[in-house]
Order: sequence, then structure tokens, then C-alpha cells
Amino acid sequence: MLRREAVMTWLVVLAGFFGAWSLMAATLPVPAYFLPPPTAVVSAFGELVRKGILPTYVAESLRRILTAAVLGLVVGVPAGLLLGMSRRVADFFYPLLNFFQSVSGIAWLPLFLVWFGFSERTILVAVNYTLLFPVIFNAMLGVRSVPPLYVNALRTLGASRWRIVRDVVLPGALPSIATGLRLGLAYGWRALIAAEMLVGANGLGFMIFSAQSFHLTARIMLGMSLIGGLWLVLDYFLLRPLEEATIARWGLIQR
Amino acid sequence: MPAKIVLAGLGHEYVNPFTRERVLALDGLDLDVAQGEFLTVVGPSGCGKSTLLGILAGLLRPTRGAVLVDGRPVKGPGPDRGVVFQEFAILPWRTVERNIAHGLEIQRVDRSERAATVRRFVELVGLKGFETKYPHELSGGMKQRVAVARTLAANPEVMLMDEPFAAVDAQTRITLQEELNTIAQATGKTILFVTHNVEEAVFLGDRCCVLSRRPGRVKTLVPIDIPRARRTWTLFTSDPAFSRIKDHVLRLVREEV
Repeated sequence: MLRREAVMTWLVVLAGFFGAWSLMAATLPVPAYFLPPPTAVVSAFGELVRKGILPTYVAESLRRILTAAVLGLVVGVPAGLLLGMSRRVADFFYPLLNFFQSVSGIAWLPLFLVWFGFSERTILVAVNYTLLFPVIFNAMLGVRSVPPLYVNALRTLGASRWRIVRDVVLPGALPSIATGLRLGLAYGWRALIAAEMLVGANGLGFMIFSAQSFHLTARIMLGMSLIGGLWLVLDYFLLRPLEEATIARWGLIQR
Repeated sequence: MPAKIVLAGLGHEYVNPFTRERVLALDGLDLDVAQGEFLTVVGPSGCGKSTLLGILAGLLRPTRGAVLVDGRPVKGPGPDRGVVFQEFAILPWRTVERNIAHGLEIQRVDRSERAATVRRFVELVGLKGFETKYPHELSGGMKQRVAVARTLAANPEVMLMDEPFAAVDAQTRITLQEELNTIAQATGKTILFVTHNVEEAVFLGDRCCVLSRRPGRVKTLVPIDIPRARRTWTLFTSDPAFSRIKDHVLRLVREEV
């Protein structure tokens, strides 16, 4: 939680930022489209909401990233856990997953365009791919990071394999799983904007890229603010509560 | 009295993962532990004390020899042998009471009986009021109480303890030792307790087993004929038998260093 002084500091910083921006927009000898004032961004927001464009685009972008997140949770986490169970399998997959994690979906886009064309499918494949690999990779690392001592303790209590997975491996891997989801969502969000720029017919990426052709600078700035702002909201309402309820409570991370 | 545990010609060799050297930890170790006996094991560092305990727990497979509990060979870990580890192996994501209940959950003991048993052992190890705390909120001594209570609650016939009090402060250690003595007396369990602390070994044991330097085998078994009721630190240290036995064991260990 932000403390009261932190909130005050932020209000001052933001007021200064918007003040300086307004001043520069009013005084610099450049055309209005080059640096529109904050008020232009606000009115662009009003206009796009009235026309119904913005709600649709935001909903489309969120739908894509959240679908990918669900897939990552349902497919990526179990896959990573499974790979992590065996030392040999994990050792084999480690460089492979690490490699594909670093070749982001954006780098794949040219190839996806050849394969799937300028279609919704290209966007979805790029986003799902980008989100999935960090999730699998970190879930796998999470399993490897569970102290063998805990596993041994459960074995001496007579626990079955399945119970060890449920009571030790899964909760023990959770900090790493949370990291994977966080990274996956962050990378996926970037890949989504890039993919929408290239192939979209809607979405925030499409909105800011197409606005460029018409010098609708205020619309670009609005889109950028929303990309960052929506991420903060996703992070704050989706990922933080998950961490608070589990690993923070168990003392596995310090805040 | 029949032997609860029989170790015969026990040998264990493993490859050190860092140096890749073959290490012969135990060689030709013979030992009988009687039903209800409290046997402490001391020896120079690296003599295979922990290896011995790991084999009895079923976590390690000996490369030679026989391990029998109640006449049956040990094939793996089992709830008949409870282990208390040195590094408080309790789970950070479970509260005190859920950690203590873990063995009972695994044994599918029903909820009300489980709660009653947990309550009994929470009181026995002095953790009343801390039931819903998580391990990171506890001191080292309290964590080890949780581990001891978890093992006791699962009601194993044999308790294997691997330097359980080595990582707690001196004052807490004294309290825990006296408590363990009371518990041993009350439950009559067969206990094998590994330590590098000779005083502790003499204070707790019915017999003290001194191991030789690596490869470990039994050097001497020292009987400690001091009644359990007299085993509080104030009474015990004033007993002339205590310092005599302690010096004797210390000398035996020193010969191996």
C-alpha cells in the first residue's frame, strides 16, 4: 500500500509534470500535433469514449492478454511443474526453454505473418507464445528450488508421491510460479501491443499505430498512458493479491 | 528385551558430488538398540553419524549389510520411524498446528481426533498460544519444538533425531533437553539421537555409542546408569557419575580425532 506521504509526493510530482508539459506545449515554437497539451489528451479520451472506440479497443486488448494468462495458468504451470519433477528432464529442457523465452514473440512476428497472415490468429499466437515460456520456465525452476529437506521430511512421515507434490512441491514452487506469471504477463502485454500494431483491426496497439498516419498525437499519448496504466491495474489487482495471500504470508518474500 | 533395531555389517559408500571422490562413510558397523532404549551416538565430525541416521530413516540405501527394525529389513522411509532433522524441516506455508497435524493427515486420522492430538502435543512442547503462527514468526527453538511435536504426534515407534538442538541457543537447548527427557520417560519410545555434544549425549542416553573416525564403526558402547528421574541439569551435573562418564566418553572421542 502507498502511504499517505507517498501519495502526497506523487500528487506534487504529477502536478509539476503536467504543469511543465502544459507550459512547453503553449510556448515552444512547434506545430500543435508535435506536442499537444495534456488537455488535448483528455479531450481525445472523451471523444473516443463517446464514439465507443476506446471501450471496444481496451476490451479487445484485455481479452487477448487475459485469455493468454488463463492458458499460461492452466497449461504452462502444470507443464513447468511436470518438467521440474525430474532432474534429468529439467536439465535437458533448461537451455531450450531459456532460449525460447528470450526469442520474444515480437521476433517471431515476421514468421507468424508468413504462416498465419494479417489475422487475429497471428496476434494470439504471438501473445500466447510470449506469455507461456516464462511461465513454464519459472514453474520448472520453482520445483527445482524446493529444498530436498522438506521432501525428505514428508517421506519420513509416510507421505505418498502425490501428497508430496500437493503439500511440498506446489507451495514451494509458488514464489517462482508467481514470478513467471508476472514476467509472462509483462512480456505478453508488450508482444500484444506490437502484434496489434502490425496486424490489428482493433486494440490499443492498433489505435496508437494507426493514429500516427493522421498525426493524431494526442491519441497516441492517450494510448501509451493506457498501456502503462492498465498494466499497473493488472499488476495491482491480479498479481499482488496472489502474492499477499500466499508467499508474503508465509514469510517467503520480504516487503 | 528383544532388539528393536539391528544393524549388522553395515557399510555405506557414496560419491561426493563436489570432489567426485568415493567416500566410505561407514564400514562393518554392528549395533543393536533395545525396545524403549534411548541411544545417543557421538563421534568425530565426518564419521558417518548422519549417514547412519539417514539409512535408518530409509532415506539412504546402505551399500553393504543389514538394517532390521522389528526383525524386518528397512526398504524406505515409513511412519514407524519418525525423524527430527537438524534444520527444522517444518513447512513455511503451514501454521504451527497444521505442521504438527501433518503426519496425522497423512495417516488419515479423522478431524476431531487430529485436533485433540494436536492440542495435546502443542501443550506438551509448550507452544500454546502459537497454534496459528507461521514458522517465520517463530524463534529457532520454537521451530524445533514444532518439529519434535510433529514427529511425536505421528506416533512412530522409533524416533531418529539428527543433532536436533545444534541450531538453537544454549538456554533453549537446556530446556529442550530436559523436556525431551521427560517425553522419553513418558512415551517409552525407542530413540536414536545423534549429536556432536558429549554432555548432551551423556545427559540424554541410556547408552552412548561412540563411533570411530571414518569409516565409522562402533568403537565403544558406554552405559549410563543414572535414573531418568534424576536427569535435570542441576541434579545431573552435581552427580559424580556424570562427570566420570562424560570424561570417559570425551576421551574415547578424542582418541578418534
